[in-house]
Amino acid sequence: MINIEIDGKHINVENGCSVIEAAHRLGIDIPHFCYHKKLSIAANCRMCLVQIEKAPKPLPACATPAAEGMKVFTASEQAVKAQKGVMEFLLINHPLDCPICDQGGECELQDLAVGYGGSASRYNEKKRVVLQKDIGPLVAAEEMSRCINCTRCVRFGIEIGGATELGQAFRGEHAEIMAFMSETVDSELSGNMIDLCPVGALTSKPFRYSARTWELSRRKSISPHDSLGSNLAVQVKNNRVMRVLPLENEEINECWLSDKDRFSYEGLNSAERLTKPMIKQGGKWLEVEWQVALEYVANGLRQITQEAGAEYIGALATPNSTLEELYLLQKLTRGLGSHNVDFRLRQSDFSADSKQSGAPWLGMAVADINHVDRFLLVGSFLRKDHPLMASRVRQATKDGAQVNLVHAADDDLLMPIANKEIVLPTEMSTVLAQVLKALATAKQATLDISVQQIVQSVTPSATAQAMADSLASGEHVAVLLGNFAQQHPQASQLQLLAQHIAALCGGKFGFFGEAANSVGGYLAQAVPFSGAEVQGMNASAMLDEQRKAYILLNVEAELDMQNPQQALAAMGAADMVVAMSAYKHHAIKYADVYLPITPFTETSGTFVSSEGRAQSFKGTVQPLGEARPAWKVLRVLGNMLDIPGFDYNNSEAVRDEMLVGTDLPAKLSNILHGVSAQAASGDVAGLQRVSDVPIYSSDAIVRRATSLQKTRDAVTPCALMHSVELQKLNLQSGETVKLTQGNGSARLSITADNSLPHGVVRVAAGHVVTAELGAMFGSIMVERA
Amino acid sequence: MEKITNFFKTFLLVELLKGMALTGRHFFARKITVQFPEEKTPQGFRFRGLHAQRRYANGEERCIGCKLCEAVCPALAIHIETEERADGTRRTTRYDIDLVKCIFCGLCEESCPVDAIVETRILEYHGEKRSDLYYTKPMLLAVGEKHEAQIAKDRASDAKYR
Repeated sequence: MINIEIDGKHINVENGCSVIEAAHRLGIDIPHFCYHKKLSIAANCRMCLVQIEKAPKPLPACATPAAEGMKVFTASEQAVKAQKGVMEFLLINHPLDCPICDQGGECELQDLAVGYGGSASRYNEKKRVVLQKDIGPLVAAEEMSRCINCTRCVRFGIEIGGATELGQAFRGEHAEIMAFMSETVDSELSGNMIDLCPVGALTSKPFRYSARTWELSRRKSISPHDSLGSNLAVQVKNNRVMRVLPLENEEINECWLSDKDRFSYEGLNSAERLTKPMIKQGGKWLEVEWQVALEYVANGLRQITQEAGAEYIGALATPNSTLEELYLLQKLTRGLGSHNVDFRLRQSDFSADSKQSGAPWLGMAVADINHVDRFLLVGSFLRKDHPLMASRVRQATKDGAQVNLVHAADDDLLMPIANKEIVLPTEMSTVLAQVLKALATAKQATLDISVQQIVQSVTPSATAQAMADSLASGEHVAVLLGNFAQQHPQASQLQLLAQHIAALCGGKFGFFGEAANSVGGYLAQAVPFSGAEVQGMNASAMLDEQRKAYILLNVEAELDMQNPQQALAAMGAADMVVAMSAYKHHAIKYADVYLPITPFTETSGTFVSSEGRAQSFKGTVQPLGEARPAWKVLRVLGNMLDIPGFDYNNSEAVRDEMLVGTDLPAKLSNILHGVSAQAASGDVAGLQRVSDVPIYSSDAIVRRATSLQKTRDAVTPCALMHSVELQKLNLQSGETVKLTQGNGSARLSITADNSLPHGVVRVAAGHVVTAELGAMFGSIMVERA
Repeated sequence: MEKITNFFKTFLLVELLKGMALTGRHFFARKITVQFPEEKTPQGFRFRGLHAQRRYANGEERCIGCKLCEAVCPALAIHIETEERADGTRRTTRYDIDLVKCIFCGLCEESCPVDAIVETRILEYHGEKRSDLYYTKPMLLAVGEKHEAQIAKDRASDAKYR
């Protein structure tokens, strides 16, 4: 430890701590622009010059490490004179356009200019002009003359985002920030550059000119999208969400936010929002009062219960629904006498249902990802599915962690990958078995009886051996299963093998989790099993054996389900479909009742993130039109159907009924009991489908976020195939092909992608153009259109 | 002694004559009453009367929708809504001043970076209903257009003191 004195105050700091950090710990503010606690030190703005005893000239506080006995003066005459000099230089080329600048009111330069700037300029020469640039639909670089060249955005791209999206070209006065190769800046984390920019050079394009910063009120919320549970500061004006900013939480999202969380608010104000309950009468939709709609639903459900039996009712919810909504939905369904309730809509393997010993979760705290030194990632489009967790993995690789990847597609994760095995989906379990075998040999461990058989039948490949060596050499190992592995038809096999691999390394083992409430759904018991007893039908079985009535909570059947074809057929055949949704969507074709419910900003609720953290939030704006929070709708329905225990005054009462007195960490477990591994069956004939859910198609809100839909990640998906497979079919890259699964087909253009294994076609799921196709996995036919 | 003097003064009506002398002086002095509305008092170029929105000589409205006037207004009399115009500039879609709330402090014109909102010399505006005194953007622009010459002259006179 080093003792340092700043402005007469003493503090002990660790070796290597900079003066500016020490000062911030003491609560002393040193003006700065280029310094940022999460980025490397550039020391190019010179604003943080301070006087240090025995130093002849002022030194930059950000780039000066604290030394024993150092005496620092941050506000001495010499320091302030230096800072004022720097400010004068910065203002030489900065335009005086604060009144039209979107950053006005929250601008670091504006704030500091009040304290350090002169009242008039002494500069009469021509100012520097930097032309505006179009860098995509999210970040506006319309006024690059405002740039003070602090290079925070450049360093963010290199150090956090993983991709150098922006760079500084030219020198001296001609230096300017520009996008590399004139490409757009719209990777999954690029919105953070807007927050980082200390001036108004990079601003938010969707928010541009829509409000001034001082008009907005700031309310806390939780992200409803991915399973990280990012903390949001939702900014509201006139009962309308104007923009979303990160709320700093070091344990979850640090000070970052993925673009999906940041810009999805546009979907909240979409023109497709449903504002009145509607009933279909004789093929026509009528707007009705809530009372009428709810009575219609209650009568319908009662009638089906009496005539066919309660087991002919099925309830489906997306994992983006709140804990309270999921809990009340399952309570309502179970109260009617049916156990057919599920939220795992994109999952296809339910064989482990009764063998789970708890809710599948990340297996560790999110913050611990940074300290892992060996990763085994199984089936994950990590960057697009979990942008900020990917960033944490990337940080770990900077500290020397090795990443091993087993997957069916080879997307660039923008981090070094030590070993990767890109194989057919059906071969993924074999690869894991090989790794397990190599690991067991290396560790000279005897394996559990459940995996012995499969391990004996495989011989480790060189890559599997390298992965095993990598994992065996680590101190903190994590085996993490992505969305792809969870949606995989052999998900339980992958889970079991991963469990044993992690056990052999003494490491952590878990799931990234698909959506905001992927863990919460289990805690809310919105699953058709309880403990070891399977009571009802799961999401897939409910479509296999068609039910007479479906209650859909937030679900768009053709986009949110594993098998859209089957889902649409089941909905079409049902006697009654109750669509509880915030939006008017395709359900207009198959539903009978539309109940307008509110998205997360208009209701209170709780999300349980993948690390098992229950985070409650309050509504930030009033519900739009006659839309009502779904928990209220379900409560009233429960009362109308005379189901006991539906007398809640607020959503907190619902949450407390679930969570108070329960030991939440004890309910989380990834361990499977009584599942035995079987050799992978290569029963898929012909080409296999590999599906990812594109980042901006994952849930109802982002699908309607207009700016996100203009990004590169949201272009109409094309089918991808290895060029050898293309040749076999005598197809050219760029041609339009007809993809067929079951009775449905889709027309997409096809592109060669030689990183894919032979024998697969990669086709996005969750997108309107592929909504006619069948399951996300399995065989698929490709022919010239 | 004083008592005796006062006793005689009461008979000689000295106070009455003094009072009448004052009245007489004023009766013949020059009158300062202004016969409004036929006559008007002189006004300074910083007079703070009815508000106006100005345009540039080419017809472009000056206001850029920065909302500084809305933020500074101590009486919360200004309400502004903005949008991005097709040419990429921010413009107001609504600019309302509630003259019933306004206290004519002049902070709005003081804060305006483009001299768009100004207070004119007009003081004899009126309204028959309260709502008549709720001035909207077209009304403010109309005032500006009508009195632009005078407004520009006043700004020019004030410029050297800024």
